[in-house]
Amino acid sequence: MKGAELVLKVLQQHGVDTVFGYPGGAIMPIYDALYQSSIKHYLCRHEQGGAFSAIGYARASGKVGVCMATSGPGATNLITSLADAMLDSVPVVAITGQVSQVVMGSDAFQEVDVLGLSLAVTKHSFMVRSVDELAATLNDAFTIAQAGRPGPVLVDIPKDVQLADIDAELQAISNSNSNIQTSLANAAAARKLIAAAKKPVAYIGGGVHMAGAMAQLQQFLASNPMPSVTTLKGMGSVAKDNEHYLGMLGMHGTQAANLAVQQCDLLICLGARFDDRVTGNLQKFAPEAKVIHVDIDPAEINKVRFAQVALLGDMKQILPAISTQNNCSDWLTHCAQLKQQYGWRYDHPGEHIYAPLLLKQLSERMPDNSVVACDVGQHQMWVAQHMRFSSPRNHLSSGGLGTMGFGLPAAIGAKLARPQDTVITVTGDGSFMMNVQELATIKRFRLPVKIVVIDNQRLGMVKQWQQLFFNERYSETDLSDNPDFVALAAAFAIPGHCITRKDEVTDALEAMFTWPGPYLLHVCIDDKDNVWPLVPPGAANEEMITEAKA
Amino acid sequence: MNHVLNITANNTPAVVERLLQVTRYRGYQLTGLEMKPRSDRSVAITLSVSGDKPIHLLTSQLHKLYDVVQLELAGSELAVLSA
Repeated sequence: MKGAELVLKVLQQHGVDTVFGYPGGAIMPIYDALYQSSIKHYLCRHEQGGAFSAIGYARASGKVGVCMATSGPGATNLITSLADAMLDSVPVVAITGQVSQVVMGSDAFQEVDVLGLSLAVTKHSFMVRSVDELAATLNDAFTIAQAGRPGPVLVDIPKDVQLADIDAELQAISNSNSNIQTSLANAAAARKLIAAAKKPVAYIGGGVHMAGAMAQLQQFLASNPMPSVTTLKGMGSVAKDNEHYLGMLGMHGTQAANLAVQQCDLLICLGARFDDRVTGNLQKFAPEAKVIHVDIDPAEINKVRFAQVALLGDMKQILPAISTQNNCSDWLTHCAQLKQQYGWRYDHPGEHIYAPLLLKQLSERMPDNSVVACDVGQHQMWVAQHMRFSSPRNHLSSGGLGTMGFGLPAAIGAKLARPQDTVITVTGDGSFMMNVQELATIKRFRLPVKIVVIDNQRLGMVKQWQQLFFNERYSETDLSDNPDFVALAAAFAIPGHCITRKDEVTDALEAMFTWPGPYLLHVCIDDKDNVWPLVPPGAANEEMITEAKA
Repeated sequence: MNHVLNITANNTPAVVERLLQVTRYRGYQLTGLEMKPRSDRSVAITLSVSGDKPIHLLTSQLHKLYDVVQLELAGSELAVLSA
């Protein structure tokens, strides 16, 4: 068999039945092998879109996402998506074709040093020099992508390796996450801190669900009742009926979440990393709090915030081990009052559609277990604030990298991972245009993805910062010459509808959900609506600007 | 502060680039580099760096590299946490 066929056999051995990609010269042998393979290849219309679909597939399913591209421009187009997967710890294996080794290093056609480019955006990367190394290298790629803190792995395969003959018997593969080392040596110290705390808060990131520790988290929060807050990636981790959950913290977090964290005396950080969008001014973040930090990545401990107690390893083992008795009823009452006092208000005046209210209605109307893939900007924060999710796998949002153009292709991947579930992408007029070519992928595969374009004819988040912090100098954020989005969708045989008034929302959502195929709902909103609250740059998290104060 | 890191790594084509990329990106200056390939496909690398930040912020990131087998901070206890 050829190396190209071996690639597909190893993928199948790892349970891969779906790949995203785009062919080209240096990966043609693999595409030739795909022609008669049972692996289903989904042709994207840009490699960045294909890799985002692989990310959406991985995040919605918990499996490894696989994408492919050719050498040179195909590979460089993957880079943004790999960086996205790196920052959000998403297990992805990217396979790139490379020019034949005989011409490598000669500036051959479509030759670029992909291995060199990959260093900053992957967990690891390989260049396969011999067909004899091919199977083992791919096995390593799958192991590394999933082991410990997940991440993207790139495998660059020269064309001559793809074409080389090999008489290979596939090696048995092992379960990559079976060897997590967990130390519970500090569990007693953690229990002591929790038992002594008067004002504890659980700060929950994406690491909890990625560890498969959702049940252990609910048990922990039930045994040790305390307020909880989540990061963007942790949203959906806390059961919907947990009355002590305060919402997302950070720059656009809820006031209750931020105030509770600022006032707490113990912060229990579970699979999160004190990102600057979470902490605001680090020196003023949770100033009275001792910290317990639980993570699988040693490099996150004491990276940003010193932890009095750190526990490394498997969250599933650690959470029960640090569970103890705690009585903080006064604190729970106080945080419940904060939640009540600073609850969202939806009584927005006028006929214009108020995006937070629309998203709340969308959240209430969408079927249980729907997946929402966001783009990046104001609408992304509104989704995080006003929609509720039963699992982090139902909320796909580009957190670390903040990549506009993420939403539409991520929704495609999610729909293919979970065909029985409703998949919605909530996007903005700026973000939508960044990977709009993927409408062709939706058309080709008749994917019933629901597309909600929140359109304020602006790059809204940048405009909001220009308004607040750059003297209303609106440099290059006017998008009032946007295309007709409904007509654009129609060009891809996707029906749609445009709404501009509040009283149209209910019927429009109903029409979108009852339509059996893909559908685009174009929602025009007032360009003056901004995301509140907002912690201004350099400020402490209790110094939130609210709409009333703006 | 100057630090000397004694590293044993897989002798793969990009391993030195990986070490240098992490060193630069995490905010440390390279002040010396020595490498000796060994017969067992590994390579001994001595990395001298300087930087104002605590050295554990670099060692913990270098330790994560797949090709790094062993890492020791010369003259002190290594500040890398492990399970």
